[in-house]
Amino acid sequence: MKVGIVGVGAMGGTHAEAWTHTPAQIVGFVAEKFEHAQAMAEKYGAQAYPDLAAMLPHIDVVDICTPTHLHHEMTLQAAAAGVDVICEKPLARTVEQGRAMIDACRAAGVKLLVAHVVRFFPEYVRAKQAVDAGQVGQVAVIRLQRDVFRPRKAEDNWFLDFERSGGMILDLMIHDFDYARWVAGDVTRVFCKHLGDPSVSPGDHALAILTHANGAISHIEGSWAYPPPTFRTQFEIAGSGGLLVHNSDASAPIAAYWHKGDDDTAGEVPVPASPLLESPYVTQIKAFYHHLTTGAPLPVTAEDALAALEIALAAIQSAESGMAVTIRG
Amino acid sequence: MQDQPQPSPLRIGILSFAHLHAESYAHQLKALPGIDFIGVADDDAARGQHFARVYGVPFFDSYDALLAQRPDGVIVCSENARHRPLVEQAAAAGVHVMCEKPLATTLEDGRAMLRACEDAGVILMTAFPMRFSAPLLEIKTLLDQDGLGRVLAVNSVNQGQMPKRYRDWFVDRELAGGGSVFDHTVHLADVLRWYLQDEVVEVYAQTNRIMHRDEVEVETGGLLLLTFANGTFASIDCSWSRPMNYPTWGGLALQLIGQKGVVHVDAFSQNIEAYSNTDLPAWIPWLSDPDRAMVQEFASAIREHRQPRVTGYDGFKAMEVALAAYRSAALGQPVSLPLG
Repeated sequence: MKVGIVGVGAMGGTHAEAWTHTPAQIVGFVAEKFEHAQAMAEKYGAQAYPDLAAMLPHIDVVDICTPTHLHHEMTLQAAAAGVDVICEKPLARTVEQGRAMIDACRAAGVKLLVAHVVRFFPEYVRAKQAVDAGQVGQVAVIRLQRDVFRPRKAEDNWFLDFERSGGMILDLMIHDFDYARWVAGDVTRVFCKHLGDPSVSPGDHALAILTHANGAISHIEGSWAYPPPTFRTQFEIAGSGGLLVHNSDASAPIAAYWHKGDDDTAGEVPVPASPLLESPYVTQIKAFYHHLTTGAPLPVTAEDALAALEIALAAIQSAESGMAVTIRG
Repeated sequence: MQDQPQPSPLRIGILSFAHLHAESYAHQLKALPGIDFIGVADDDAARGQHFARVYGVPFFDSYDALLAQRPDGVIVCSENARHRPLVEQAAAAGVHVMCEKPLATTLEDGRAMLRACEDAGVILMTAFPMRFSAPLLEIKTLLDQDGLGRVLAVNSVNQGQMPKRYRDWFVDRELAGGGSVFDHTVHLADVLRWYLQDEVVEVYAQTNRIMHRDEVEVETGGLLLLTFANGTFASIDCSWSRPMNYPTWGGLALQLIGQKGVVHVDAFSQNIEAYSNTDLPAWIPWLSDPDRAMVQEFASAIREHRQPRVTGYDGFKAMEVALAAYRSAALGQPVSLPLG
């Protein structure tokens, strides 16, 4: 299986490393700046291509790790070339784009796999398994929280460009919108409050309340308002029979206290890191590989990614209108 | 050197032990210096007699009989919906009142209680112990010194166990005013008003009854999102989402996003974890008891002829948030405050 990666930012680099844990071969890179693609190509013994069109004839699978607004067009291009698609989350910048991507891939008979990596994080997977095993009974109240620092790319920080990224709500909170829906099913109503003005807040911050079709309610916090190097997550799943609680601060296996200044060693983009023998990013890419080669089941479909996108965009709409937004199933 | 003349002890009674917090207040009245716990009146004579015996104080077979003793103050711990008549009776007798939260179950009752105490010139304090929590006070000081800059958003939780096992009326819509929303929202609504020195102008809420569905008819799950006049927004999780084997009754904590940083504060994290061969894991609290400081404040306010640090009006405004939450949950849209 020949894989080409588009986009060599934090996720492109992470995915490239993850692919080396599979039998697949990384054959090409495409980047906004050609020299960046060259550097990656050199590192992985692959070819740098000037653009996606030039790479598509040489690959079986494209792994799209570009800014969100580019997912749609690149997916359509790949589908037209009969190449399977792996796409970073969020699926797309708009629901219409997301639908068009799903339709195009289905029509072309290619796969569309969306990298909702939280579905591969062991704490989230175990909690989902516990819920499915009936450990909390019927889910009633979910609390999900993801607090990080504002992405600070040295050049062209597209994360902060709402038109391209959809901002924190679409880029970060979508993880937890997807997870809430994974655990408690479809969402019918969204209400959200959002701090987005950089002259007021040190970073985007939002709180949202979701209402699920089955009556469960979810509280989601997403934040870019914490200082670097923060990456903390929390969840609670309370149901008729019990309660699951996770807090990444409390479960951190290592605490180190150094006699030195406050060196800021955080990267450009916050990436979670609790020591594991296999990174969830690797687990995810392996799952994609097995799915593509053997049809092994995946925990997340493109339709799931589209549903998460709909929730995130409804949250943005609610924050703008001040009203709760209804989602039709 | 001559001793200062000791002021005569303040005489304080408890009207009704319907609320279990009366037991803590009784304990404080016995323990605090300068207070004479004059007795208990309760329309449930067996309950009143029981607690009068426990605390070694007289039992009065009517509220009027206790009020006829001309106490300096009374603590009202009847069912939420029955606060009003006792507060009005105490006010009519010229007796200062500390009333258990929530202040009342309707705006009308709340307004009547405020009016009765104002007209009688007596103190009406709402029993909001979180105003006296040492960790929460530490953050209040930080905020007052502008240590966090402007507070922009707050994520707060006051979850607990379903309280039916403590008192049946806690889950009776008529007597309690509702379920988890009414029981738990008021604490954080008050803390947030206190911290932000601002009023709530909008409430959104969603509720459900999935946990303990077969045991109660009131809501057991609730999430609120409040907006304050200056734009700060704050969520409250008031759910009865702590299972019966949770190591403690529940908790109260806030995460505040400010312009200068973020602070997390937990009013009930000061615990020792206890494990055993025979019992379930439990937490042994070592926190400074906020109830002690709260009862002390009631006594000090009476003695110093001043308003207490937390008033009946504070109780009214917190109750208004909870009432707005029910309206919002029914509508599926946010509701504006003040309520008409």
